[in-house]
Amino acid sequence: MNRLKFIDRMSQGRVSRREMMKAAAAFGVSATLLPRAGRAAEMLTCLEWGGYDDPAYFPAFMAKHGVQPNFSVFSGEEEALAKVLAGFAADIMHPCNYSVARFVTAGLTKPIDTARLSHWNDVFPVLKDAEGVVVNGDVVMAPADWGNASVAYRPDLVEKDFLDAPTWGILYDERYKGRVSTLDDALVIQIGLMVEGKSYDEVYNLHGDELRAAAETWGRKGLETARFLWTDATELQQAMASGEIVAAYAWNDVIGNLKEQGIPVAYAVPKEGFFTWFCGLSILNSGKADEAAAYDFVDAWLSPETGKLLIEGSGYGHANTKSFEIADAEAVAAMGLDDPIAMMANSTVFRTPDNAVQEDQNKVWEDLKATHF
Amino acid sequence: MSSATTNGVALRDPARRREAFAGFWLITPALVVMVSMLALPMVALVVLSFWTQDGFTLDTTFTLDNYRRLFATSERGVAWMGMTFYLEYPVPAILMIKSLVMSLTATVAVVLMAYPMAYFLAFRVKRNKAVWIILLTIPFWTSYLLRVFSWKVVLGFNGAINSGLISLGIIDKPLEFLLYNPAAVMITLSHAWVTFVVLPIYVSLEKIDRSMLEAAADLGDSRWRRFRRITLPLSMPGTIAAALMVFIPTVGDYVTPQLVGGTGGTMIGSLVQQLFTKQNDAPMGAAVSLVMMLVIALLVLLFLTLVGYWKMRARRQG
Repeated sequence: MNRLKFIDRMSQGRVSRREMMKAAAAFGVSATLLPRAGRAAEMLTCLEWGGYDDPAYFPAFMAKHGVQPNFSVFSGEEEALAKVLAGFAADIMHPCNYSVARFVTAGLTKPIDTARLSHWNDVFPVLKDAEGVVVNGDVVMAPADWGNASVAYRPDLVEKDFLDAPTWGILYDERYKGRVSTLDDALVIQIGLMVEGKSYDEVYNLHGDELRAAAETWGRKGLETARFLWTDATELQQAMASGEIVAAYAWNDVIGNLKEQGIPVAYAVPKEGFFTWFCGLSILNSGKADEAAAYDFVDAWLSPETGKLLIEGSGYGHANTKSFEIADAEAVAAMGLDDPIAMMANSTVFRTPDNAVQEDQNKVWEDLKATHF
Repeated sequence: MSSATTNGVALRDPARRREAFAGFWLITPALVVMVSMLALPMVALVVLSFWTQDGFTLDTTFTLDNYRRLFATSERGVAWMGMTFYLEYPVPAILMIKSLVMSLTATVAVVLMAYPMAYFLAFRVKRNKAVWIILLTIPFWTSYLLRVFSWKVVLGFNGAINSGLISLGIIDKPLEFLLYNPAAVMITLSHAWVTFVVLPIYVSLEKIDRSMLEAAADLGDSRWRRFRRITLPLSMPGTIAAALMVFIPTVGDYVTPQLVGGTGGTMIGSLVQQLFTKQNDAPMGAAVSLVMMLVIALLVLLFLTLVGYWKMRARRQG
């Protein structure tokens, strides 16, 4: 995905309509601008992360239905959740292990009948019954993609002490003021506490006065140091490519995409640990499309071909064991992601805070941002 | 009462009645749009602001809680920019003040920028005025989003300004204060709204009777005095209208701060959007936006009174 110099290309008029739409989709305008194909049956509507709205990720669905679903792109699950609660009729959502429970609590998901998924048997067993995939005995999310969250940095631009001992602390370090970026999420507060020495398990469910106190110290520090908070990985990639940002909270794809551009970039193993997430597809009950189409879409995502693309293209892992057999061996080795069991043992898997806690964290974070000048 | 009676008498005359109905039919489309797209949503917003939300469910019992929370005072003050807010929930108040200051600055900048442009258009351009006006509106043929993005390209780290200055050897490191701060929001807003200001000012300048200027010149007024005593006062109504046209919508803007504001550029519109979405508190969002609307309305009334707009109007009509 060579979208790095998107703005440069745009200014020179070298951007195709499709690419432009993709970029526009990042701001959620695609649904209103895309020409609607004839509506014999109601079209499948998917809430998707930016970048995943590409037919290459669901070839089997394209082969069967011939036309891609409507996409509405979001930058965070809470945003997507709010949209569905406000009445947006989506059939498919792409939540993650730590966020799917929010959709279940809101009464939006339908249990998935795994017998209707032809690739289900090939899914890593550890993912099949992981927290987030099964909620209250029902499979509510078919695991699809997984990967990490850690510090991506420019080895040529950071100080030596970071190279010697990588730490999340760089995102709060005065010396890097205006040269780091982080995800627009309350995680900024939690990671700050981890820098202080607490473990993730101690802080993921933080709420009330403790949360507010931590927000005032670590949250504020993070805001003061950050150049901007990213909501769109492309924005981060551009800033890292130009050297504007030297270190940032990032997912695996940033590393892959920047390396492809020949930009020196590395993925740290911070002393506080790095995160693992896994995401998947949920079928929502708000949708209007045929349920069979929804299952076709989920099944297409679980296919080994999709996995191969994820592994080779973005450096993400995939839920299907066969993906790793057909993917380029070098790419598999490069990402070090071939074994989800080992990966989950070595890293911190994101967890789901209680519903009320999640809302408290959202609120504290938004209020903190609002009063930051 | 008396006007209603006269109307009643008038409507008894069939010809008059037909005319009145024709008028009514003419405004119907506009009326339908206004009622369905503006009045009804407004009513919904007002109703919503008296409800509460807990998690995902709306509690529809009538309560003033949202407003109470907005104005509830607290012993503990929260300091922001040298001011202390003794409020329990100070975020909306802080953002309101910040947004007002930011859009006021943008408004003043726009008017100062647009007035000379309008003046040039009205007094100096003799031929092909339409072409000039079209040229002025060209940036508005693209979407607002693209215009904001082009400012990102201009102000960015390796953007036009920085690479220009570097290649001229004036600086050796890109300037970082250009983007991702409140100033970037104000610059972007100023540019985005400039046409909306040039056109009304241009119209009011164009309407000025040139013979007055000639008379003043004949009586010995200097250029500056002519401007100050004739042109400026007569173009004031247009200028004031233009200023309001920028000020009112920019206070609630949230796209611009989102894209170029960085960590510190949030405005009150962003809060309303967040309350409706991520914070899951639509009733509070409704209350904040209604209070925001009232504050803006009061400020506009105050402003119009201060500049003597009512007198100005009376004079013009009399």
